[in-house]
Amino acid sequence: MPGAKSTGVDAQLEKRIRALAQVAHLPDGRGISVLPFYFVQDIARTIGRSGARSGARSRAVAADLPGQSASAKLPGRPKGQSVATVERAALALGILPERYLRNHDAYSLEEQLTLLDSRAALVGLGGLGGYTLELLARAGVGHLKAADGDEFVASNLNRQLYATRRSLGGYKAAAAAARMRQVNPAVAFEPVAHFLDAEGMARFLAGTQLCLDALGGLKDRATLARQAAKAGVPLVTAAVAGQCGLVATVLPFGTCPADFFGAGAGAEDSQGTPAPAVATAASIMAGEALNILCGREPKLAGKMLLFDLSRMSFETVTL
Amino acid sequence: MNITLKCFASLARFTPPDAEAYPVSPGDTPGSVAARLGIPAEEIKLVFVNGTHAELSAPLRDGDRLGLFPAVGGG
Repeated sequence: MPGAKSTGVDAQLEKRIRALAQVAHLPDGRGISVLPFYFVQDIARTIGRSGARSGARSRAVAADLPGQSASAKLPGRPKGQSVATVERAALALGILPERYLRNHDAYSLEEQLTLLDSRAALVGLGGLGGYTLELLARAGVGHLKAADGDEFVASNLNRQLYATRRSLGGYKAAAAAARMRQVNPAVAFEPVAHFLDAEGMARFLAGTQLCLDALGGLKDRATLARQAAKAGVPLVTAAVAGQCGLVATVLPFGTCPADFFGAGAGAEDSQGTPAPAVATAASIMAGEALNILCGREPKLAGKMLLFDLSRMSFETVTL
Repeated sequence: MNITLKCFASLARFTPPDAEAYPVSPGDTPGSVAARLGIPAEEIKLVFVNGTHAELSAPLRDGDRLGLFPAVGGG
């Protein structure tokens, strides 16, 4: 189309997305162009079978082929990658996939697309990690990886989002992977079910844009901050003890709270980690991570947000 | 002169009843205040005066907000 801005979207795909887009009316009456959730699924399903003559036949063939992914055999469930392709195409056309509708004011269409194209690496899948991962996936961060070698035990049940009666004894990374498929299939999620040493952290952080320190305990936090600095990526870190918590952003080679705390015991050993403080810290961490990933200035760089839910006090201090 | 005092996390148990207007004298520092409250020096990992990181030896002034923070690493 002469004069039209190139969106890089396949012409066939663009035609289908435009044909199925609708105007959704926000509670305040404003209209916004939206691709309804089930149409994203429908379009993604057909992309997933591109090259197949008929859906039924391709499923039958897929079932007989060893090495075919399980999702290809399942009727009705599009591949995550295809969902991501449709969502990216819609956003590039200025059409918001319905699942992100209530993000529309917090993140512009361009920012939502940037989030889908962004990459974040999360270390720790306990209390902080579970909630943070959940929030980033729902926000639509397109590439997430998370590492934790731990398995769920009963004392995780007070706060860890993916700790359930069913997941006890299983790898936290496996539970996270299962949850990601349920929550947002457009997220390409890479679980790593082992603990990372310095070298492992370096490998894990290669190619990512942001590191999230959701570790439990102080032992490895300073090491992770050093590896994030070496990788040249900002680090968002959070920690909790009792009703208190902190969140900070550490730019490469900047000051990190863990530098002051040492690698010994923390106050959490005596005060525990109750869910409200953990979820508060994780939410702030996720909010800051999304700021950074969609290209805004980090708000907590060189600073530390402290909160105390026993006093309901929040304060941001300069490190 | 008075300061506002906040003891975080495991240090909260040392919070005096008059933390909102805690009396200090000229020459007092975060370190001397912490000692008077009986807080073991090794438990204090971060000190903030008026929202900025400070040393235990920093002089305190009337109206300052002092925050004392232990090691916190739970997740």
